[in-house]
Amino acid sequence: MTKKGLKEPLTALTICGVGMGSSLILRMTAEKAFKELGVKAKVVATDVGSARSMQPDIIIGQAMHTEEFEGVAPVIISITNFTDHQALKEKLAEPLRQQGWME
Amino acid sequence: MANIVTATLVGLEPEGWREAIRAVCAPLLEAEAIQSAYIDRCIEMVDEHGPYMVVAPGIALAHARPEDGVLKLCLSVATLSDPVLFHHPQNDPVDLMFAFGSPDDQQHIHLLTALAEGLSGGLADDLRRSSTQKAAEQVMEEVLKDVIS
Repeated sequence: MTKKGLKEPLTALTICGVGMGSSLILRMTAEKAFKELGVKAKVVATDVGSARSMQPDIIIGQAMHTEEFEGVAPVIISITNFTDHQALKEKLAEPLRQQGWME
Repeated sequence: MANIVTATLVGLEPEGWREAIRAVCAPLLEAEAIQSAYIDRCIEMVDEHGPYMVVAPGIALAHARPEDGVLKLCLSVATLSDPVLFHHPQNDPVDLMFAFGSPDDQQHIHLLTALAEGLSGGLADDLRRSSTQKAAEQVMEEVLKDVIS
């Protein structure tokens, strides 16, 4: 996969079993986290099955789902509280820096 | 502005997570916003995909797909005085149940946006502190004031 540089918009998937409830709540939380980190990202909520055919930069979900995606995306974040954008920000910061997606 | 069927229940004592899902969905079935098959699917989603719908400590959001039997856009909430276990690795026990149904894959977005905003702003604890149905209804009305006509 081509590596994205700073300032290029990233694609992030928020995943859950159905793809329209929990993942949508998580999408709102992720959008807030990316905004506060100053990172441009398009966040899409989807179900676990559909996520397999997509090529996102980042996948965010519960560990019970993200474990299936090891190696599918450069950054995979497991989170337990879908409403806590501060916790998500903290989890995102280090991997985003490592990828060169954030200063 | 959408026409949304809502219901608020407080102090339920369900026997386990399956009954908790049935209990929070019951008023939506009664209001003919969902069909009974929808409730069965909500439970099957947990059996098939794990307790991912436990979206935060103590909080579950039960739902299935539009084609599983949704007649009207709807949202219900129930506080549990007897919390239930979903066997979630971190977020058990659950004492706050939400359920929603959307007739298509778009209509619920504003509703869930408002719910997400509420949850990030202390909605869960406001509901847990509501000892009467009226108090809980007022909490929900405030959170949903921009999406309910």
